[in-house]
Amino acid sequence: MIKVIYFRIYFTDKSKFNIFPYITDKSKFNYMSRTNLGEFEEIVLLTVGVLYDDAYAVAITKEIIDQSGRSVNVSAVHKSLYRLEKKGMLSSRLGDAESKRGGKRKRLFNITPFGKNALDESMNLRMSLRQQIPDLALKF
Amino acid sequence: MDKKLKIPRLPHYFFKLYCKPEMYEELHGDLEEFFHERAVDKSIRKARLLYTWDVIRCFQPYAWKAPKGLNNSSITMYNNYFKTTLRTMKKSPLTSFINVFGLAVAIGICMVVYSFMDNDFSIDHHHLNKDEVYLTTFSVDREGETEQYGKSPAPMAEMMLADFPAIKNMSRVHDAGAVVKFQDKVFNESIRFTDPAFLDMMTFPLKWGQKSSLNDMNSVILSEEMAIKYFGYDNPIGKSLQIKFSENNSKTFQVSGVAEAFPDARIIEFGFLMNFENLQIAQPDMALNNWKTLLDGLLLHVEEPSDMQFISQKMDKYIALQNTVEKDWPITSFDFVTIHDLHLKSRHIVDDISYDASWEGRVTLPIVALFMILLACFNYINIGVVSASGRLKEIGLRKVIGANRKKVISQFMSENLLITFIAGIIGLFLAISIFLPWFRDISEMPLKLQLLDSDLWLFLGAVLVLTGVISGLYPAFYISKFSVVNIFKGSVKFGKKNPVTKVFLGIQLVLACIGITGAVMYAQNTAYQAERSWGYDEKNSIYAQFSNPEAFGQLKDLMEKNPDVVSTAGTVHHLGKSLEKTVLHSPDHQYEVFEMKVGPDYLQTMGIDLKSGRTFRKNQTSDFKSIVVNEQFVQNIGLANPLGTVFKIDSVRHEIIGVAKDFHFKNFYYENRPTIITLADESDFQFIAMKVRAGSNEKVYEDLESNWSALFPETPFQGGYQDEIWVGFQQDLINMRKFMTAIAVILTILASLGLYGLVKLNISGRIREFSIRKVLGAGLKNLASDVYKQYISLSLIAIVVGAPVSYLLIRANIQMMFPDQKSPDYSGVIISVAILVVVLVSVIASQIGKVLKSNPVNGLKTE
Repeated sequence: MIKVIYFRIYFTDKSKFNIFPYITDKSKFNYMSRTNLGEFEEIVLLTVGVLYDDAYAVAITKEIIDQSGRSVNVSAVHKSLYRLEKKGMLSSRLGDAESKRGGKRKRLFNITPFGKNALDESMNLRMSLRQQIPDLALKF
Repeated sequence: MDKKLKIPRLPHYFFKLYCKPEMYEELHGDLEEFFHERAVDKSIRKARLLYTWDVIRCFQPYAWKAPKGLNNSSITMYNNYFKTTLRTMKKSPLTSFINVFGLAVAIGICMVVYSFMDNDFSIDHHHLNKDEVYLTTFSVDREGETEQYGKSPAPMAEMMLADFPAIKNMSRVHDAGAVVKFQDKVFNESIRFTDPAFLDMMTFPLKWGQKSSLNDMNSVILSEEMAIKYFGYDNPIGKSLQIKFSENNSKTFQVSGVAEAFPDARIIEFGFLMNFENLQIAQPDMALNNWKTLLDGLLLHVEEPSDMQFISQKMDKYIALQNTVEKDWPITSFDFVTIHDLHLKSRHIVDDISYDASWEGRVTLPIVALFMILLACFNYINIGVVSASGRLKEIGLRKVIGANRKKVISQFMSENLLITFIAGIIGLFLAISIFLPWFRDISEMPLKLQLLDSDLWLFLGAVLVLTGVISGLYPAFYISKFSVVNIFKGSVKFGKKNPVTKVFLGIQLVLACIGITGAVMYAQNTAYQAERSWGYDEKNSIYAQFSNPEAFGQLKDLMEKNPDVVSTAGTVHHLGKSLEKTVLHSPDHQYEVFEMKVGPDYLQTMGIDLKSGRTFRKNQTSDFKSIVVNEQFVQNIGLANPLGTVFKIDSVRHEIIGVAKDFHFKNFYYENRPTIITLADESDFQFIAMKVRAGSNEKVYEDLESNWSALFPETPFQGGYQDEIWVGFQQDLINMRKFMTAIAVILTILASLGLYGLVKLNISGRIREFSIRKVLGAGLKNLASDVYKQYISLSLIAIVVGAPVSYLLIRANIQMMFPDQKSPDYSGVIISVAILVVVLVSVIASQIGKVLKSNPVNGLKTE
């Protein structure tokens, strides 16, 4: 018995397991308010922008592989996409069915204004930090 | 599409299994796109492999579906059930108290029973080789009845070791008494002689010293308890103990090891362990190569249990050897019992190194626990059904909103599980803090509840779930049955006249009746056993035990100077202390009987009266071929004219010269058995018995003790008052009565709580009716008869059923322990029924009193 219950707690999305209401208390676990981006997330967000109207997981994955030369698995891209959508930085819609996808539709992503803000913020932060580096520090 | 381009089936299936259905299309579309591309770019094989890899990589929380039944709405629902339960409990504290308290007590008792059973079933299970070490036993067939003995012939061990290579190790075990002396500490102790392999076969880890020291003839290994008794808490290795096996026969031993404290659940143990060869020094008369000599135990260690089966089939040679020597005791078979099973089988094995003192407990206690659980469950069921009225609107509303019957049932079941769970926690607390210490006192067993033991929690969980289901199922079905329309129309007749409630209440009353009868009959039995005649004058007798043959004459001379001593007698066997078994031969039969060897004055001194014939005469050598028998003997063998009948013992003719009235050699746990008394030579005496003037017991005892220490300053005094010889038995009786009384009180409280709850709910439901009656002039008689009428037929049926059932049950239970119990006597049941009736009447009366005192205005203005 005990083992089964443990299993369930572990594998269930926390937001759905609110027998103890404080676990989903929004003020403690508010993912929405997090505007900072992870490095990979930022790349995905940027790539979505680059691909503009054709940004779906497969295309994004290929684009990242092409542009950065990293080996990226589609699952990692999925994860970032859905998380970014949850944060409100991406919006999505279902596209058309295609035969190369076994007749399945694809989910197309767009950057939201909030996403653009986040990108700008991140860029600005980097730029301002980069500009504050004294020239001496970079003389080798 | 190309056939070969099919997606691998197994990973695809796995993907479908974990993926959220609403995300399946887009996610799998991506995977498929990759798959087809790779199939073209690389190879189909690679594409398949990479697809599988992708499926595994995608096995991440974002893609998982939520487990069934744990979506948001059901969580909210359970939250709501939880809240409702707490509110209902708060709203009616009395019923929730009855429910929780009843279940908690029942679960607490269950835990105690668990602790008892757990302890009992794990006795001697700490030995690592418990399944491969066997005790040798033999069975003797006597006139169709087989009796199994735990002893074994002395020479057998070495022969078997030589004959059967499958026997890895063997150890003979024999116990003997001795006086152990270290400086000023001198005590009588029991010494266990074993072969060195004993410590390898059994698991007795040593705290200090080496196991191998058992090989040494001059070493002794102590138990922790004995080490502390003689040497305190310091390491005693290397110290010398003087051990006196008998007068003029003592030897000095070096302490070479101390065992770690033995586990609580053990029977096989030792105080002093020494090499078996020392037995020949301790008891030079013991013929260890004679098949007639029996050792206390022979342990054999084999590799595989199947080896033992093989060995037990080849035992004919040994049976033949034994039977040629011991013709009076023809052995039918040798059997081997593992250490694992020994304790539980000991009840049927005579004189083995283990014993089973708790089988009555194993039978009785689970029944008691079951009674408790049933009572508590019935309380819960009854109250749940009767109080359904208070919750009809809630259920109606739930149903209107869309709950189906299943949902309502699951609500009540979860409510019930929550209550059981709370009760379980309280019950565990009760068990640890109250019940267990109390039961430990009574049973004198080292019982414990180990909170870290996973079995305990498993058991508790099982009890909780079982109790929850038993108690919750019926109310849940009952309450969920009502249709919404009827509930809101107000036309549902709920609870009041439910026949099931009555049946359950009836069963509760029967259980309570059994409990009370148990207490009363046990109390009666205790009184009866305490007053029963022992068949001799135990009140004015004193005895002392010695191992030195000269001691008798010396003590006798000194004690006879004391004016308070009426008479003295020597004996080999003393009442309540020792006894032998022997076989009597008549021309066409042989009888196995107990034998007491006594001195000529013994019968008069102990006050054993003769029914007919005469007792032994002093200085008459022919009396060595005479026997005195007890009444049971005459009755069992069916002698019309016992005096003068001749039997052969060891082919010597013995004539019956007298019949003694029955006397109880052992305590009343044992039934009276045919016994013969024979005359013994003074040089064999081991006891001196004294009859003293009434009231002078203590003075004579002191005199005896001081004479003893003057005569034998080196040997501790072993003697006592005859009427204290069964102290343990008398304590047992008192403890049993205490236990039964407590159980009866708990059962009665539970049952009357249930009844109280029912009556209260019933009356509060009819409060308006009663108020109107009162306004119209109804008095005590009218109201009381109205309420009692409901319960009278039920109680009558319960008593009619319960009284005989409890009588038979309790009598059978007492019979398990006391073969000679009071002749059939219904007074116990009558008293119990009277007690039960008084409790019932007063429970109901308390509620009627409330109605009488209440102002009818209050009753009428409700709502």
